[in-house]
Amino acid sequence: MLFSLDFEWLADPLYQDWLLEGLGTTLAITGVGTILMLIIGVVGAAIIHFNIPVAKPLTIIMIDLFRNTPPLVQLLFLYFMLSDLGMSYTDATTGERIPLLSGFACVVISLALYNGSIAIEVIRSGINSVPRQTVEGGISLGYSRAQIFRWIELPIALRLTIPNMTSNVVSLIKTSAQAALVAVTDVMFYATQITLETFLNLEVMIVLWLIYLVITTLVVLLAKQLAKALTIPGFGAGAMK
Amino acid sequence: MNTPPCKPFIEVANIYKSYGSIAVLKGISMTIQAGDVACIIGPSGSGKSTLLRCLNGLVSVDRGTIRVDDFSVELLQSEKELVPLRHKVSMVFQQYNLFPHKTVLQNIMMAPIQVLGHNKQDVHERAVKLLAKVQLSGKENAYPGELSGGQQQRVAIARALAMQPEIILFDEVTAALDPEMVQEVLNVIRDLASEGMTCVLVTHEMRFAQQVADQVFFTDGGVMVEHGAPDRFFNNPSDPRLKSFLAKVL
Repeated sequence: MLFSLDFEWLADPLYQDWLLEGLGTTLAITGVGTILMLIIGVVGAAIIHFNIPVAKPLTIIMIDLFRNTPPLVQLLFLYFMLSDLGMSYTDATTGERIPLLSGFACVVISLALYNGSIAIEVIRSGINSVPRQTVEGGISLGYSRAQIFRWIELPIALRLTIPNMTSNVVSLIKTSAQAALVAVTDVMFYATQITLETFLNLEVMIVLWLIYLVITTLVVLLAKQLAKALTIPGFGAGAMK
Repeated sequence: MNTPPCKPFIEVANIYKSYGSIAVLKGISMTIQAGDVACIIGPSGSGKSTLLRCLNGLVSVDRGTIRVDDFSVELLQSEKELVPLRHKVSMVFQQYNLFPHKTVLQNIMMAPIQVLGHNKQDVHERAVKLLAKVQLSGKENAYPGELSGGQQQRVAIARALAMQPEIILFDEVTAALDPEMVQEVLNVIRDLASEGMTCVLVTHEMRFAQQVADQVFFTDGGVMVEHGAPDRFFNNPSDPRLKSFLAKVL
């Protein structure tokens, strides 16, 4: 069986186009998702760190809600809830009802919220491991709490948490495959299309598997370079071996 | 040094501080003249470090008044109000408390630029001079983690001086150092003292206190037991607690 694998479909320009287009969509989802995830992580960690009334309990509820439920359920909920709430507009020329948030937007938002909730906790753990003395040094020099967060706690925390944050980005990339379920044409979507036309389920999935492996490996290598460049000499375990 | 008695630069009157049910300071008073070197000695847990931290508002007092030059420290609440005080009063810590992710030069330059809003070029010039003063020229781009304890502590002193303070507080700055590094740090403090900087030290270096101090304070159990000029203080102590403490440490 193993030796009768058929990869001739890979030579088909149509399928090549599909895979490349799908890959582009996957990279766009994960790129935008990662940026939003980091923003949510920093803002959420700051809200909890500064004990901001009302916002803090809401943030904690958000973390529990998104971190402790399946991301696929969140995505489908978001997708159906938003269209159910009537968040759509009518195209003036065609009279067609178009959802305000596309499937693409839903996928990006759901990934940003799910992995962002994890990012908040990751960054918070980093902030908590900044030595108390370092903060005291800042206070004695006249820094405000906000300045200490911006110039001392956050830069150290982000460096210390590069390994954990990398796992979070990899998780986001893997979870993005669920985009196909809300009809977003990512690489998973097109791979499924190809299997429907060629019936070469195993071969297509092997290729898909390798595509994800290459993306995540490149991200991990990039993160290692970043960690190396940002290592604090003689301090903690910021660098990845 | 030994200026004639005028309006004291630092005046602490009857301050109280408790952490929960533990009373750390129980009515401490002291005065320090401008340009003086004051050493605070005493057994561990006697409130020395807390007293020092009250002087720049790192610790707020429950009762009593603290005047540093024109500032009523106990009345300063917000971070903004405290900035001018932090400008005037710098602090050096036992654990150096440097910023590990910044180079030596950045550690020294950060606060004057970001807190005081000084011109970057001026601060850079000042930082290079200060590094020369603490004999660390050439270490500008090293990170704190790459330096020895004594070198880190000298960077911390340079960082404190970059704020152009009028008073520097030293909190057991040699307690975490090897004996041979203690001397290099003490020499820097000695130079500062001879230049007329007002220094308040919490220290266990009795010989240093004896040589350099203008006034020595002895705290025990949260109260000021005895104070005076080092000659009389070390050679002719009157309080039995101070006598027994000196007998142990000298």
